[in-house]
Amino acid sequence: MNDNELITAVRESVTGVHMTIPEEQIVRRSRTIRARRRIPAAAGTLAVAAGAALAVTALVPSGHQPGHPVSARLAAWTVARQASGDIDITINQLQNPAGLQSTLRADGLPVNVSFSGAPLSTSCQPYDTSRDVLGAVVQLSSSSGSASFVVDPSALPSGTGVSIYDNPGGGVPPSSPSAQGTGSPPPAGITGPVSFGLVYASQQCTG
Amino acid sequence: MDNQRLDFAEFYRTSRDECLRTVLVSVGDQDTAQELVAEAFARACASWRTVGRHPAPAAWVVRTALNANISRWRRRRREVSMRDPGVAADLPTISAASASPVDPRIMAALMRLPARQRQVVALRLILDLDTNRTAEMLGITPNTVMAHMGRALAALRGDLMPERQKESPS
Repeated sequence: MNDNELITAVRESVTGVHMTIPEEQIVRRSRTIRARRRIPAAAGTLAVAAGAALAVTALVPSGHQPGHPVSARLAAWTVARQASGDIDITINQLQNPAGLQSTLRADGLPVNVSFSGAPLSTSCQPYDTSRDVLGAVVQLSSSSGSASFVVDPSALPSGTGVSIYDNPGGGVPPSSPSAQGTGSPPPAGITGPVSFGLVYASQQCTG
Repeated sequence: MDNQRLDFAEFYRTSRDECLRTVLVSVGDQDTAQELVAEAFARACASWRTVGRHPAPAAWVVRTALNANISRWRRRRREVSMRDPGVAADLPTISAASASPVDPRIMAALMRLPARQRQVVALRLILDLDTNRTAEMLGITPNTVMAHMGRALAALRGDLMPERQKESPS
């Protein structure tokens, strides 16, 4: 018996062996494993729910009529942290950027939020990166006037945070006079009703 | 079903059998191997964002399953007297009662190999890893992998040689 025949015989000796456990069972087990790792995320989810409730309250006019169902009005935005660590964000109205910013920061995301063309703080510096890197951080989808994102904080390059803005000129600014180099253009943002970009993280910019 | 889940589902569908066969050759018992591989795949699914980017996710699963087997043997050390705890994890648990769709003669020959040779055979021949990747997984040099492979093939050839060929005229 030469080596090739022997190798073939060894390989063929186990070809009748098959995994009989269905994929659903594997996925169920993986959820248990993730749940054990992500206990703090449950607390984050509760905090996020409170933030969403605050957003709804802020939309209600002070003179609203009793009995007018608050639930009939959409929240300006909702945020939900998943057990995997991803953060689901849905923006229905460009309102209460401060509330959205504080809610996301409470979930551990370094972020700066500005709506309605408000200029970004000069303490925020754009972080040049490729669309591939940005795409790994944020996945965007838009439907019926809402913008939905899934943010993966673990995919952020070290030392960076996220800038959320409602038009390219209103968020991440072009290179500031203090920037090094040749004045690079703002990073390519993911555009839709709102846009995303990356900025250098700092206490003043991203909290 | 999101893309991550679809991606893992495809990986599981295409890799589960070769991972099971690889671990089976290492541990010798199909039920044990299936249990270890299932847990390893569940851990892969739980960390798919990272594992999915590994250059050889199937190798990650096999390594995780074999490490889990080491943990099992370490927990059982108090119950079973082991000559050398360092190789205890690699002792095959041959289960004569389980009906296994494997060639019993070849499986018995594989189980007679020293643990390290058996692991090299499993990774090189069943999982089809190259010498360098096998060396990296086992924490040995590529030359050592080749040496183990050569000795394993020689031992298997001697073990599996048909009886009539052993009675060659002098």
